[in-house]
Amino acid sequence: MSGFAKTRITWSGITRTYSIYFVLVALIALSSVINPNFFSGGNISNVSRQISVTTILAFGETILIICGLLDLSSGSVLALSGLLSVASYKATGSMAIAFAVAIFIAMLCNFISAMMVTRFAAPSFIATLAMQEMARGSALLFSKGQNIYQIGDYTQVGQGSIGFIPIPVLFLVALFAMTWYILKHTRFGRALYAIGGNQEAAKASGINVNSVKLWAFLVNGLLVGIAGVLFMSRVNAGLPNGAINYEFQGLTSSIIGGTSFSGGIGTAGGTVVGAFIVGFLNNIMNLANVNSYTQQIARGAIIALAVIYDIWTKNRRTSILVKGVAK
Amino acid sequence: MLKRISLVMLVVIAFAGGISAQAKVYKVAYIARAQADSFAAWLANSIVDEAKKYKNIDLKVFDGRANDDTENSLIENAITNKFDVIIIQPNNGESQRPYAVKVVQAGIFCITTNARIAGIAGASSVDADPYEQAAVNARMALKQIPQNAKVVVLDGPPGNFHADSRRVSWQNEFFAKRPDVKIVGEQIANWNKDEAMRYMEDWVQANPKIDAIISMNDNMAAGAIEVIKNKPAYKSTLSYGVDGTAEACLLIKAGLMTSTCLQSAYALAEKILDTTNKLVTGKSGQINTDIDAPLVNKDNVDKYIAMHKKAGAIK
Repeated sequence: MSGFAKTRITWSGITRTYSIYFVLVALIALSSVINPNFFSGGNISNVSRQISVTTILAFGETILIICGLLDLSSGSVLALSGLLSVASYKATGSMAIAFAVAIFIAMLCNFISAMMVTRFAAPSFIATLAMQEMARGSALLFSKGQNIYQIGDYTQVGQGSIGFIPIPVLFLVALFAMTWYILKHTRFGRALYAIGGNQEAAKASGINVNSVKLWAFLVNGLLVGIAGVLFMSRVNAGLPNGAINYEFQGLTSSIIGGTSFSGGIGTAGGTVVGAFIVGFLNNIMNLANVNSYTQQIARGAIIALAVIYDIWTKNRRTSILVKGVAK
Repeated sequence: MLKRISLVMLVVIAFAGGISAQAKVYKVAYIARAQADSFAAWLANSIVDEAKKYKNIDLKVFDGRANDDTENSLIENAITNKFDVIIIQPNNGESQRPYAVKVVQAGIFCITTNARIAGIAGASSVDADPYEQAAVNARMALKQIPQNAKVVVLDGPPGNFHADSRRVSWQNEFFAKRPDVKIVGEQIANWNKDEAMRYMEDWVQANPKIDAIISMNDNMAAGAIEVIKNKPAYKSTLSYGVDGTAEACLLIKAGLMTSTCLQSAYALAEKILDTTNKLVTGKSGQINTDIDAPLVNKDNVDKYIAMHKKAGAIK
């Protein structure tokens, strides 16, 4: 009987770990049948470039959600940091300064959010909602609501390629490696999981919860700042009203990729797969000329399924564990 | 003595009254649709600048944040605060209609703009005709777009008067007359450059040739052009927009965009303030007026670039 139980747990573990990859493979296979252009090198490169910005945001969301936090401000902070980065590039002509400004601004915004969460015990949902408003308002105030044009070679980062690989995809790969390493191989990463799994237990085991949360926000700021440069560079303008609702696109990728909203669960690999599922789905619906309303319904349905699956597998695992303990 | 004092007092009162009549400043509320929308922001900035030319007008701008409920509340607040004129840039004309009626019923001058809310007795309006804005492009496209062409269409937010009217105009003035033209992709990009870019990137994968980009505004057209500007296969792709933004004028100058129609925020602002002034000074009781819908193409784009340079939108 125990052997049966062991087999079931293993199978559950396999499905939990790899089901998202099966979904991705099935989506690719189905899309290839629907449209012959889908599985071409050009289109895969196209989707990879399209999802770069939102996936980089999703890495930040994943880190925060694992720790039991959330960022609703990343789209607005992206717009503010990207806009100021464009302005500083136009003033100095230096891409290094443009990157530094974007990263500094995004980290500063995240530092403020972190202070609200750690010093004043504000829920991250509320703190980052406030930051969303402040950052968007600042971007609009700075630009008087107008786009900044004629940004010159600033576009090279978002539109250029090295060989056949688009530069934003190279950033995506590098930041994936960074996120994966942080989550998998650092004390900070383990602390994130511990806090998200059980904050009181983490505190009791000597983890400085506030410090870890602060660093989680700062890493998120770093990612948002880089995404800000890539976004503005890609659209060849400083858009104060750009990237609206991008935080939700990042959250969607993260959740579909298996990150649990309850905290303590999630991986960088899963987030990338989640982002590709969303990206491929959008892509095939566009290639098949599915109308915008239907596309919205499909995206909503996928989020709902991902959340239901997350809750279902969690309940199932709990029930297996409870049965095991009872026996 | 008493007579003298009375006379002096009368003179003083009359003088003070004269000064007060001269210095009468009218409170004007401008309820903007959403200042996060780049055209709405351009219009709001232009209205603020234009209002500075009128010493008898004190203008306050309120942001409807693209939300009907917020915008309606702002209109109610402006009525309560007894503004002399309330200018409404509707987020959704039908939602703001009863509130515009309330403005008139409260004895306050009401001006609706971009887009007008038509048919309100006693209310004035200043607008551009969205149908005509698209039509000037569509009439040119009839001759420019080749036979059996494949085109893509970028739409604005559904329910928006300008987005819907421009699309209807393209349907009546172009697609109905050119059944040979095939739409290979049509999506709602919500006026946004980044959304339009993503759609165009996908369409380019599925269509080795796209003869024309038909966009309901310049921002989306610019996003689509961004995707193909360095792709030789799409060198002859035509593209049409509306608004006459600084970016669109630069794209036309660079030979990357075919044409747009100017919806000049400067011209709108000028007419709005002129209308406001005429209403408060009693020169007119009700005004309904439109700005022109000039086509901007490679032949006359320099004039519009100069206009944007003068306004500081192009350095």
